[in-house]
Amino acid sequence: MRLAKEIWEYREMVASLVKRDLKSRYKGSVLGFLWMFLNPLLQLAVYTVVFSTIMRMGIDKFYLFLFVALVPWLFFSTCLSAGTTVIFSEQDMVKKIYFPREVLPIAFTISQFVNMLLSFLVIFAVLIISGIRLNPQALFFLPLVMLVEFVMALGVTYLVSALNVYFRDLEHILGILSMAWMYLTPILYPMDMVPQQYVGLFTLNPMTSITVAYRDILYYGQVPHMNTLFHALAMGVLVLAIGQVVFGRLQRHFVEEL
Amino acid sequence: MRDSENVIEVTDVTKKFKVYYDKGKTLKEKALRANRNKYEEREVLKGISFCVKKGEAIGLVGHNGCGKSTVLKLLTRIMYPDAGTVELKGRVSSLLELGAGFHPDMSGRENIYINASIFGLRRKEIDQRMDEIIAFSELGDYMDNPIRTYSSGMYMRLAFSVAINVNADILLIDEILAVGDVNFQEKCFQKLMDIKRQGTTIVLVSHSMDQVERICERSIWIQEGLIQMDGIPTEVHSQYLDFMSRERKKKECAG
Repeated sequence: MRLAKEIWEYREMVASLVKRDLKSRYKGSVLGFLWMFLNPLLQLAVYTVVFSTIMRMGIDKFYLFLFVALVPWLFFSTCLSAGTTVIFSEQDMVKKIYFPREVLPIAFTISQFVNMLLSFLVIFAVLIISGIRLNPQALFFLPLVMLVEFVMALGVTYLVSALNVYFRDLEHILGILSMAWMYLTPILYPMDMVPQQYVGLFTLNPMTSITVAYRDILYYGQVPHMNTLFHALAMGVLVLAIGQVVFGRLQRHFVEEL
Repeated sequence: MRDSENVIEVTDVTKKFKVYYDKGKTLKEKALRANRNKYEEREVLKGISFCVKKGEAIGLVGHNGCGKSTVLKLLTRIMYPDAGTVELKGRVSSLLELGAGFHPDMSGRENIYINASIFGLRRKEIDQRMDEIIAFSELGDYMDNPIRTYSSGMYMRLAFSVAINVNADILLIDEILAVGDVNFQEKCFQKLMDIKRQGTTIVLVSHSMDQVERICERSIWIQEGLIQMDGIPTEVHSQYLDFMSRERKKKECAG
């Protein structure tokens, strides 16, 4: 509780780090901020070409089926792999100034989250243009699913940023791990393609129900099952709790390890 | 806190560092050198206790590696003691790192916001101090230029102006009063005296005995992780300087 209060005291630091990150990311490039929209749009173009002309999957508007799950996944996987450098790259600050260390992973996750929100503008534009019927009742659940994913991504960022201070191989291991994780999450395929005996294992993957929920809301236009939502929420809280505890333990010796 | 007047209480603090002979940070290194992961424990602080009253300015002196910077890091709370307690009352600001979080592509003004927020200031508080910070830095004309266009002197002046205008209850300073030209240094010094008069507690680590004597009314000499002497700066310093010259002579004889 005291920690929460202290982080709240430092909210201006979170805000200015997020702003600095977003502003500096595209500084110096000709198109600047526009890349935030161009990037997902061009990715979508590639998928459309590949999956509607070469690798036909037999799913209607497969590029959308994929896209609505891929954008949230990219947010999560960035936290997983790039999240490792969060503490390490700010070591000058960490070694010299006191502030609640949690501020750094929080600011990083928020800035990635804002990036995802901007990509969602592209998603909505494409959904409307391609004539998918948006269900307002289902859309009502979208912020909730996003929030749950944010909580989970924050937990993961806590975990990897703290562990990487002690164990630098993690960056490289997570590069491979996040690729494997992506194929083990129903992003490229629907859940019912998963053989029955492995479905149990898939539910252990915290990203499964989040991906299913996004797709239900945006692609199928239906309210996600309560089971799916509850499972996602429970997983999110669990991951955050683990991340917070591990981070809290490890941060005490950051300065000596860096 | 045992005494309500104290704003800093350090009680029986010890701190050890593990000094690895050859530290493996990666998986391969850890596996290959599983039994070579030897390290030596170096006890930097061997039980230090002192209190500082509100409004008091103290200096920490001692030779290189005696542990005074470690004391300052413990006070800053970026490190934790192995045993003992460190208690502080009020907002702590440290002049250990100037210009934390500065981004070269952003304007002076934007960087003031970033830097001040790292010291824990809220937006409103930064807005209130903005004019004073800009005036102190004497960089009013350059505020909207990206700081990559600043000279290193301008950069340090901006950084120092933010740090010194945080209005902390406790100010920790490590050897950084050498900012800018002679006039700016004098101005920083005057500002420090102002801050002190307003009741801010100051802890200063310095190798410059003059600086400590000008600012502080008390000096603590740390020697091999223990407090050797604690008292009026001029007295502590003469003992300390005697000790250092004896050491130097010993070395010269040995050499």
